[in-house]
Amino acid sequence: MAAIELPATLQKRIEESGPVDLVIGITGPADAEELRAKAAAGLKGIAAKAVVAYAGSAEAEPTAASTDGVQLAAYPMPENKASLAFWLDVAAAQRSVLELATAWQARACIVMHNDLAALEPEALQLLTEPVLEGKSDLVMPLYAQGKYDGLINKSMLAPLSRALYGKRVRSPVAFDYCAGASASVKLTESGTVSGQSETPLLWPANEVAMSGGRVSQAAVDIHHEAQTDGLDLSAVLTELAGSLFQQAETNAAYWQRVRGSQPVPCYGSVHFPQSDREPVDAKPMVESFVLGSRNLEEIWRLVMPPATMLELWRLARLEVEQFRMPDALWARIVYDFALAHRMRRMSRTHVLGALTPLYLGWVGSYTQEVGSATVEDADRRVEQLARAYEEQKPYFVSRWRWPERAS
Amino acid sequence: MWNHIEQALHDSMGRVTTKVAQLLPGILAFIVALLVFLALAWLFAALVKRILIAMKFDERVGRSSGSIAELSPEYTPTFLATRLVFWGVVVLGVLVGLSAFEASSAEPEVAEYIFAYVPHLIGAAVLLFAGNVLARFLSRSVLITAVNLNLQYARLLALGVKWLVLVLTAAMVLDHLRIGGEIVDLAFGILFGGIVLALALAVGLGSRDLVSRSLERESVRPTEIPTEERRLRHF
Repeated sequence: MAAIELPATLQKRIEESGPVDLVIGITGPADAEELRAKAAAGLKGIAAKAVVAYAGSAEAEPTAASTDGVQLAAYPMPENKASLAFWLDVAAAQRSVLELATAWQARACIVMHNDLAALEPEALQLLTEPVLEGKSDLVMPLYAQGKYDGLINKSMLAPLSRALYGKRVRSPVAFDYCAGASASVKLTESGTVSGQSETPLLWPANEVAMSGGRVSQAAVDIHHEAQTDGLDLSAVLTELAGSLFQQAETNAAYWQRVRGSQPVPCYGSVHFPQSDREPVDAKPMVESFVLGSRNLEEIWRLVMPPATMLELWRLARLEVEQFRMPDALWARIVYDFALAHRMRRMSRTHVLGALTPLYLGWVGSYTQEVGSATVEDADRRVEQLARAYEEQKPYFVSRWRWPERAS
Repeated sequence: MWNHIEQALHDSMGRVTTKVAQLLPGILAFIVALLVFLALAWLFAALVKRILIAMKFDERVGRSSGSIAELSPEYTPTFLATRLVFWGVVVLGVLVGLSAFEASSAEPEVAEYIFAYVPHLIGAAVLLFAGNVLARFLSRSVLITAVNLNLQYARLLALGVKWLVLVLTAAMVLDHLRIGGEIVDLAFGILFGGIVLALALAVGLGSRDLVSRSLERESVRPTEIPTEERRLRHF
């Protein structure tokens, strides 16, 4: 299923220009002149023939001929009528870019956020080199993150993806990454099922891992401004966790065979931002958890087994300073919610909505644990959580196969 | 005197026995028709189930629209369709049975009355089912949203919504069954009017200070996100 209908003029250009080395696709509108200037500076010595595509109309394209080996191309932004969700729009734009790269027979395709933070020489080199040299099929970014950044990713998306698909990738869903020709084709086709009203989120690392492709990471010093400003936490959590749970349901036959996880090659040196040693007040998060445990017990009981409920009941009675959610418990909670999402024991919106207070409980526990720790120590703490997910995976497999058997 | 009483009792016994004897073939015809249609309903339901499973109906419906699954998640679309076919055929059996009862008895007005009432019964049953499903769905939605908004009275709010929908459903069902007549409308109007008036009085008189303090807090609340929350980035 095509994500976008390429305009006739663009199709003609693709036929005339022939295959290119690299397509950089900006997943949103951008200023063409700024784009050309930054791309020309950033791409020197990386690719001889490159196309920079951005969302926009062909009429707005600069008419001046390319003198620096960089072609600009505007592609139509896909309309995601069924949803106003931010991440689904990003995924639709990423699919369009990958489809464009496939049409251009590009050897590599960089999908990039339209804040152009990744359009810097060092980041471009780290992302493209492993693909162009044939060392990797997909290069995911290893962002320089602080202790309190990307908490949904740290608590759920990355460790669950790692436990299920067996690759230790830190950001399984990202704004910027580079895909080789075969990976681009694979990603374009992934998750697009006929009859579906909206395109699902794109999980590049998981998709490529499943197809047996080589995945690596590039430590890039990129910071995107908070993308979820103005968005409701519960809605973001629903969208991201729901998509990953859906993917787990679709690929159940694959991940049940995966044992443990393998590290992926990492290019560049990891940049740790300055340590924020001042602890965060965990009280509001813990209070949200306690409020949830008082009011949502009836719903949680439909999702989690009695043993987990008992542990949550004990946690809810602790003082804020003593509040610590064990990794194994959190991993089992996420697995139970993934199972409830599959089983449809109640509306999926309700299942995912009921996860928010538990997530805030985890955040409350995590912020207290890493409050006075360095970024490196916090990183090790996240690694410990990821291992807990792997250790608890047999529990998930068992419940997935025999859901009625309460543990 | 005693002879007259005895005669009257004999006559009434005779009339009742004759009446029962007249109704008996009709009742038997009704039972036979119902049993035949129950068997047919079971057969049709099994057939529909097989066809839908072969067509992978659940997967298709699940992909194209989540609305059925959202409202009635514990039942699969196939189960719902099968049940619908089963009860459709059973209702048809009841109608055929009534028709047979009418044909074989000398009491056409009973069958006529029941015939005219059956659509109301079906409509009321549908309303009751839909109202219950909607009440539970809305109650859970309100509960989860209120908890995620950190509202302390989340459960109360959810309970209120649930009973509001249930009371509304009950009023609609009674109205549909033509039970209670205008009393139901009147009682419903008084109840809702009373609730609104009570709330207005509570806010206007009893909780005036509380409301004004709450509004003041909202107006002076800083538009910037608190520093603690800004330091946490969920994504």
